[in-house]
Amino acid sequence: MQVALEELSFAREGRRVLDIPALTFATGTTTAIFGPNGSGKTTLLRLIAALDRPDHGRVRFANGNGAPPLVSRQNIAYAFQEAVFLRGSVRANLELGLQLRGVVLGERDVRIAEAARECGITHLLDRSARRLSGGEAQRANLARALALRAPVTLLDEPLAGLDRVARAQLLDDLPRLLATFATTTILVTHDREEAFRIADRLVVLVAGVVRASGLKRDVYRQPPDRETAELLGYTVAPVNGRLVAIPAGALRAGTGAGAFEVIVERVVDMGNHQHVLATVGGDRVDVRLPAGAAAPPAGSLLSVVVHSEVILP
Amino acid sequence: MNDFSSGFREAARLLAGGDAELYGIIGRTLLISSVATLCSIVIGVPLGYAVARGRFPGRTFLLGAVNTGMGMPPVVVGLVVWLLLARSGPLGQFELIYTKHAMVLAQFIISLPLVVGFTAASIQALPAQLPDLLAMLGAGRLRVLWLISREAHLGLLAAVMAGFGAIVSEVGASMTVGGNLQGSTRVLTTAIVTTTSRGEVPLALALGFILLALSFAVNILLTTLQQRRDG
Repeated sequence: MQVALEELSFAREGRRVLDIPALTFATGTTTAIFGPNGSGKTTLLRLIAALDRPDHGRVRFANGNGAPPLVSRQNIAYAFQEAVFLRGSVRANLELGLQLRGVVLGERDVRIAEAARECGITHLLDRSARRLSGGEAQRANLARALALRAPVTLLDEPLAGLDRVARAQLLDDLPRLLATFATTTILVTHDREEAFRIADRLVVLVAGVVRASGLKRDVYRQPPDRETAELLGYTVAPVNGRLVAIPAGALRAGTGAGAFEVIVERVVDMGNHQHVLATVGGDRVDVRLPAGAAAPPAGSLLSVVVHSEVILP
Repeated sequence: MNDFSSGFREAARLLAGGDAELYGIIGRTLLISSVATLCSIVIGVPLGYAVARGRFPGRTFLLGAVNTGMGMPPVVVGLVVWLLLARSGPLGQFELIYTKHAMVLAQFIISLPLVVGFTAASIQALPAQLPDLLAMLGAGRLRVLWLISREAHLGLLAAVMAGFGAIVSEVGASMTVGGNLQGSTRVLTTAIVTTTSRGEVPLALALGFILLALSFAVNILLTTLQQRRDG
């Protein structure tokens, strides 16, 4: 199912929170809404879910086959950031949504078993939902949403609050899970790695405005401005009279065409390489040096070259 | 100690003897306090929910009023209700003063803030996202309310116990608006006051023990419901 935002705007206490003239989430795609805290990401999910009403514009759902869509909330499964459960077992919690949506008893069991198996929580089904660990709770939260088999799935920071191991495991599993359940997924995250690992499309949202959207590769390769570039992990600095976005690890010590000088602030020994913290034109840049190379003293000038920089408009 | 043992014996004798007046008083006590508690639940639980979750002008003021009301002296409530219902009062035409209805009204006013306050506290203790979660799972407005009440059942039953406990044991309002009329508005607490003033201490103690036993029985019932383990 396709989700289209048309002239959507939302304000809270007189402050504009979201302003999106047009944005479409194509059927079957996984899109990450990526941006800093307070950029309006969760508000956008709430507007799509009709939990809040836009001040202007609308959210339109469309079936690929041209048939009219069902009542909007029936189209949506929403996994909230906080994995909230009702009293009772994990199974009872998974079953509640199916029951509320009128799924018949036998079918409920099938869907619960499938969602639990895919999310790796079959062994937890009869456990009290409120006694799960952080990782288990997030998986159960996800399973509850996926069991609904809604055409559109909304995920709000699905890896928030997880420890490193649980996060890594779920990060590995999520793309496969979403592919298995074949829904149009809209994922909200402030974490760049999550956005790139899980989604195939990216929407960069800053202060309620879409700065860039499209295939993640395209968005990454063409950041439209400095803020977006920095969000995407670039270091932005003036180089030879132009403002350039430098990908992580693309700045190396060297001379020749296009080389420029940076002022060394500090050198950190990272074991397998040396990390030079430096500035150019007042902007902070990181330079990688081989482990055995002589460390430049603080305050000295270091000649560097950039591989694969992006020139910003 | 002698008075206490006499009181115990008297209580047992009265109950075993099937004293009609005593059973009438017990029944009346239960009826008036139960109806008042029920009214408080019907109005107080949705109000508590609204105070806990709603965002409307005057919410903080209302919450402050509720919290103040939780400690309201029953005799003051009795006085206000008496002024309203007295023959010369604004509602005097309804001739409710010195009736069970007047007692229910006064007890309702006493228990309402307790039910609202306890309900609001128990709803606020639930995760803020719960109503949205239930709505997204497919629950309609009434179903959301029901499911949230089920989640908050510990607090809601505490609200009922607090409301019932406060009015079954109060004497000031019942005496003021009920008048302690024999066979009509006399309840256990007002009967205790009367018998004490007549110097019938063992009988007053007996009534006191019966009131305690009654209160204990109701609370045990509610506590059993409250403490049932969930799956």
